[in-house]
Amino acid sequence: MSAEAAAAPVTLHRALAPEEAARADFYALIARLLQRAPDAMLLAELAAAPALPAEGDRALADAWRELAAASAAAQPADVAVEYDELFAGVGKAPVSIYAGFYSGAPAVDHPRVRIRGDLAQLGLVPQAGAEPEDHFGVLFDAMRVLAAGGAGRGPASLAEQRRFFERHVMPAAPRFLAAVGAARQSHYYRRVAALAAAFVALEAESFQLD
Amino acid sequence: MKTTKTNNRRKFLVTAGLGSAGAVAAVVAGTRKAQPEGPHTAACAQPDGYHLSDHILKYYKTTEV
Repeated sequence: MSAEAAAAPVTLHRALAPEEAARADFYALIARLLQRAPDAMLLAELAAAPALPAEGDRALADAWRELAAASAAAQPADVAVEYDELFAGVGKAPVSIYAGFYSGAPAVDHPRVRIRGDLAQLGLVPQAGAEPEDHFGVLFDAMRVLAAGGAGRGPASLAEQRRFFERHVMPAAPRFLAAVGAARQSHYYRRVAALAAAFVALEAESFQLD
Repeated sequence: MKTTKTNNRRKFLVTAGLGSAGAVAAVVAGTRKAQPEGPHTAACAQPDGYHLSDHILKYYKTTEV
C-alpha cells in the first residue's frame, strides 16, 4: 500500500436503521406541525396514512389514529385559525410555544443561549429568519437532524442525541404539550399534542436503555 | 455490555412500532415537495471522517419535511 493510500481518511457510508429513520420521521412531522398549521396536502396525507402496528406502543398508535381521523375531518383554514389563536394570539398567546417560557430562567441564562451553544457544537446553526432556537418546532427539527443527519452533517451519536433531548426537549416539552391539550382553543392541535407527548415519552424511555 | 444495551434499545423501539412505521415516512415524503429546508444549516464544514453518500442524501431528502 502506498503512503498516500495509507494516509487517506476512511469514509463510512452507514445506512440508518429503520427504527432510527422512523424516529427522525416522527420528529420531522411534529416539527412541521409546530412550525405552522398543516396545509391541505399534509392533512390529506395524514388522513390517508395507515395505522401504526396494533401490537406496538398503545399510546402512540392511539394518538396516531386520532390525528389521522382529525385530519380527515379538518379544514385547512380552520386549523390555521386554531394555530394562530393558540400560539400567536394578539397580545399574550394562550400557549407559549417557546421552551424558555417553561424554564422560568432569567435572560442571562435563557435556554436559547444554551440551545444555540449546543447546536453550534453539533455543527448546526439557525437559518436567517428562522424562529428562535427554543421554539418547539425548531427543537424537534434539531432532533430530526441529529437522528437522521441533514444540513450537511451525518447523524449524531446516541449520546449526543440523548444529551440534547434531556437538556432541551424533556425539561419543557411535557408541560408545553399538556398546555396545548388543555387549551380551550385546542381541537386539532389537541391530537397533535397527544401524538407528540406519546412520542416524547417513548424517546425518554428508549434513551434510558442506551 | 454496550452491545446488549444497544440491542435492548433497538428491540424496544421496534416493539413500540417504530421498526415498521412506514406510515409516518409516507406522510413526510408526500409533503416534502417544494418545502423549504428545516431551520438548521451546517456550521463551517468540519470533516469528521463520516460523510453522507449521494444515495443516503437522496434517501434523507425524501424523508425531510
